[in-house]
Amino acid sequence: MDTLIANLSLGFSVALGLQNLGLAFVGCLVGTLIGVLPGVGPVATIAILLPVTFSLDPTGALIMLAGIYYGAQYGGSTTAILVNIPGEATSVVTALDGHAMARRGRAGAALGIAAIGSFFAGTVATMLIAALGAPLTKAALLFGPTEYFSLMVMGLIFAVVLAGGSIVKALAMIMLGLLLSTVGTDLETGDQRMTFGQPFLWDGIDFAVLAMGVFGIAEILRNLGQPEDRDLVRATIGRLLPSREEMRQSLAPILRGTLLGSAFGILPGNGAILAPFASYAMEKKLADDPSRFGKGAIEAVAGPESANNAGAQTSFIPLLTLGIPANAVMALMVGAMTIQGIIPGPQVMTGNPSLFWGMIASMWIGNLMLLVINLPLVGLWVKLLQVPYRLLFPAILVFCCIGIYSINAQVTDVLFIGLFGLAGFILIRCGFEPAPMLLGFVLGKLMEENLRRALILSRGSLSTFVTEPISAGLLAVSFILLLVAIVPNIRKGREEVFAE
Amino acid sequence: MRERDKKLGSAEPGTPVRVSQNLVGGLSLVAIAALALWLLRDLDAGSLTAMGSALMPRVLAVGLGILGAAVAASSFFHRGLVLERLPLRGPAFIILAIAAFAATIRPFSLGSVSLPGFGLIVAAPLSIVICGFATPDARLRELVILALSLTPACMLLFGDLLNLTIPMLPESSMALFPDGWSQKAMLRASAAAMLAVAALLFFSSTRSDVGDAKEKD
Repeated sequence: MDTLIANLSLGFSVALGLQNLGLAFVGCLVGTLIGVLPGVGPVATIAILLPVTFSLDPTGALIMLAGIYYGAQYGGSTTAILVNIPGEATSVVTALDGHAMARRGRAGAALGIAAIGSFFAGTVATMLIAALGAPLTKAALLFGPTEYFSLMVMGLIFAVVLAGGSIVKALAMIMLGLLLSTVGTDLETGDQRMTFGQPFLWDGIDFAVLAMGVFGIAEILRNLGQPEDRDLVRATIGRLLPSREEMRQSLAPILRGTLLGSAFGILPGNGAILAPFASYAMEKKLADDPSRFGKGAIEAVAGPESANNAGAQTSFIPLLTLGIPANAVMALMVGAMTIQGIIPGPQVMTGNPSLFWGMIASMWIGNLMLLVINLPLVGLWVKLLQVPYRLLFPAILVFCCIGIYSINAQVTDVLFIGLFGLAGFILIRCGFEPAPMLLGFVLGKLMEENLRRALILSRGSLSTFVTEPISAGLLAVSFILLLVAIVPNIRKGREEVFAE
Repeated sequence: MRERDKKLGSAEPGTPVRVSQNLVGGLSLVAIAALALWLLRDLDAGSLTAMGSALMPRVLAVGLGILGAAVAASSFFHRGLVLERLPLRGPAFIILAIAAFAATIRPFSLGSVSLPGFGLIVAAPLSIVICGFATPDARLRELVILALSLTPACMLLFGDLLNLTIPMLPESSMALFPDGWSQKAMLRASAAAMLAVAALLFFSSTRSDVGDAKEKD
């Protein structure tokens, strides 16, 4: 406990520095600004803004990126409530009752309770990360290459099972991502793999190029194909503070949502995505009058929003302690850390404590800032929502081009975001989701390295993965999970959860 | 262009190609896997004790191929979603805009064609305007105003504030400025000039828009 307090106070001393405070503020503000734009989710927002953080020191850059993430997440909820366009999968649920509330003239209360619930959830999640960080990191240090490999397999299987849609397709996307990660010079043998003999591919495909192509450009192409249909609430936003009665109704859902979200967020794979759905289902079951749900029940905004934010934050835990990203956003964080010269993993906490704890402390500060800056600025966000997409996407495209060019000053990088964008667009049109691919891509190099080491240790015997107890346990969990997902009965239940 | 699109869209029963998403997607994955295997043909897979460079990618490519084939095969067993006609306008203009940016941001040569580097001041507006036409509701004047206001903002943000190393102005234009001006001064001056033009266009256009609207009434 004493060390926890000492660690947190170290964190706050870093995060409360003038520069870092400013960066967290700018991050939250810009994140919300971009996240509010319809059709731009958190992943795209972070991909677009990644280059802005390059000139900062690692701590500052990560603090700003984390701020951008929360901001974008919050922006997503704002669009869900006001325009009924969920910026991302996790705010789909918010759109149901949040938008219904907005239509009844209670948009302000919906935004207010979303912010309050998110802040509470964020506070709890920050404490949880701080409390779990040290013990989990210690456990992670016991992991050898065999365990790491199995852990990453489990993470990928979780991502497949938790993603909506076809399991075979999600598996194929992961394979594609893993395959793309092997392009370039093999570090062990020095062989060039699949480079077409082109020097710009010797270092492999740049993570930022892939992410920006698939999430920036392909998203533009996807949105262009859809008719612009914005159901912007014209009515006044109304009072932002929920009434006493509404607060009383929301208290328990916020608590339950926070609990659910924190638990789901820690799961490897994209656990956080399920949390709002689970919270919505739970509140509906517990409600005295379930028929109100879908027509603007404040519990249905408070619970899922808290779950959403708690999950978003606890999904940092696998990344910070084990170095394994749980979802596409965390994959982007890995990319950002690598560019800053930090290899994510248990050694970050021991080797760079001010970065680790500074980032954790900044999460709480970021949440507080969102509460303070967002509610008064709602009017501005509403204005932004009225910007037509025909003016937005040229701006997004140019930001992507400038951003990617500024990383390596390579013209080929610019061309490649176009290429990946087009490829990603075709895949999306064929019903494939690109997020698992990005996760596979980020884990690919690590997986190969750990596989190689594990096999050297076991003298070439693959059985090492099932004879080592921890590794066997992890693989067993993933196997059971995959089986469960394929069994038709349960699969039906899973589809129902997503359909709701 | 739009008229033709409409005609094709309305001719639904007679549309010649109706392919399932799964067939196209699955086969594309198989093609990628085959390409990867072909590219890996000369590399050594090694053994499990000493993994060669080709082992992992080859296993992955085979896995991708199998999954792709499974997805493609599934289209024969149950009718999945049909692949809608891919729009051409959006992707064509977007790719063109990106290519234009890449070609003008710095000196570029491809075969016999070579361009001097124009810097961001040309690359950004060019790609904004081209890209804008990816949607049928594009309006040139609006895009020009956007280009002339967004570009200086980017120049100031990335060049002045964040100090990213992106060429901002064409090299030949340096001579146009008075001697002794620093890079940043030139950048700020040109950004200010662009903003001024953008403001001018914006205010004159709102007035003429109002005029247009009145005429229509």
